[in-house]
Amino acid sequence: MPAGWWTRNRHYVNYMLREFSSVPMALWMLWLLVEIQRAGGPASQYRPHGSPAFIAFSVIVLLFSLYHSVTFLSLAGTILHFKVFDRPVPSRLIVLAMFGMWLVASVVVAFVLVWFAR
Amino acid sequence: MADKTVTVKATRYDPQHDEKPRFQSYEIPFYDESMVVLDALNYIKSHVDGSLSYRWSCRMGICGSCGMMVNGVPKLTCNAFLRDYWPRPVVVEPLNNFPIIRDLVIDMDDFMHKLKAIKPWIIRKQEIPIGAREHRQTNEQIDDFRQFSQCINCMLCYAACPVYGLNNEFLGPAATALARRYNLDSRDEGLKIRLPVVAESEGIWECSFVGECSVVCPKGVDPAKAIQQTKLDTTLRFVLPYGNRE
Repeated sequence: MPAGWWTRNRHYVNYMLREFSSVPMALWMLWLLVEIQRAGGPASQYRPHGSPAFIAFSVIVLLFSLYHSVTFLSLAGTILHFKVFDRPVPSRLIVLAMFGMWLVASVVVAFVLVWFAR
Repeated sequence: MADKTVTVKATRYDPQHDEKPRFQSYEIPFYDESMVVLDALNYIKSHVDGSLSYRWSCRMGICGSCGMMVNGVPKLTCNAFLRDYWPRPVVVEPLNNFPIIRDLVIDMDDFMHKLKAIKPWIIRKQEIPIGAREHRQTNEQIDDFRQFSQCINCMLCYAACPVYGLNNEFLGPAATALARRYNLDSRDEGLKIRLPVVAESEGIWECSFVGECSVVCPKGVDPAKAIQQTKLDTTLRFVLPYGNRE
């Protein structure tokens, strides 16, 4: 297999993008751990990191995480399979339920963050 | 119409004389809009160069013999129309990810071993004597596995799978889809016999869900679905109480 196999077609590129998107997300999560550790000190000394470069990196990570989430959740209909009243649940319904749960989870997390930040 | 021609660039490789595969171009008449790539190869074989080697049989998308790379995409050549490529040259290569025996003929031994390993037939603990009674199934029970039973073993999915290309120990898409076909069959009782092959690390767990196997399947089988669903079922069998019961 040549190293550039994934450039052969669009599906391969999308797949590699989906897999690669985990890397910037992992880096951002590592940075979050550092921030949590820094926030453990006296409140008066804590200054959140907010350089323009970090904000730009965060925006890029957000785009990657959205891409990863959308592509991953879209595949849920292929992976999950179960029956209700002896009839298989349509894949589209499973995907819709996944996006619904994603929305609910996002709202709950946003609420908690805003609530504790007050 | 009779003057119209198409250029076919076919891989040539004779292991006794060639160090590596090379291309040979043929200019052949494109006399009929319904001509497929296999027709072009047959024309070359009959009228231009009788030494060109390739596999084919039914010419109607059933036998799965004539799978090749057509302009970089795994295709059944009996189902790839020249009109979809013309006036560009049609580049025909042997299926990716398999050793080449000669020209466009690949060595399919690895796939045949994998196919045999998953025991693609109905396994019964106790056979019903012939004539005793029927193995009855409802339409819903057939629907559970129907699409996986459409596989014709053409190996296009293996040629499209980069995971198999990187590690040919991987059981691969078609073998897993067929294992699932029999595991979902209400008449079959061979799940526990197939699981050691399907659920090992080089089985379903090697797949990273590229999904191209399902894209290239000429029969609408979804091997990626078979693999992911087998992953889920295997995990549930492992973590749920009584998950390993029959």
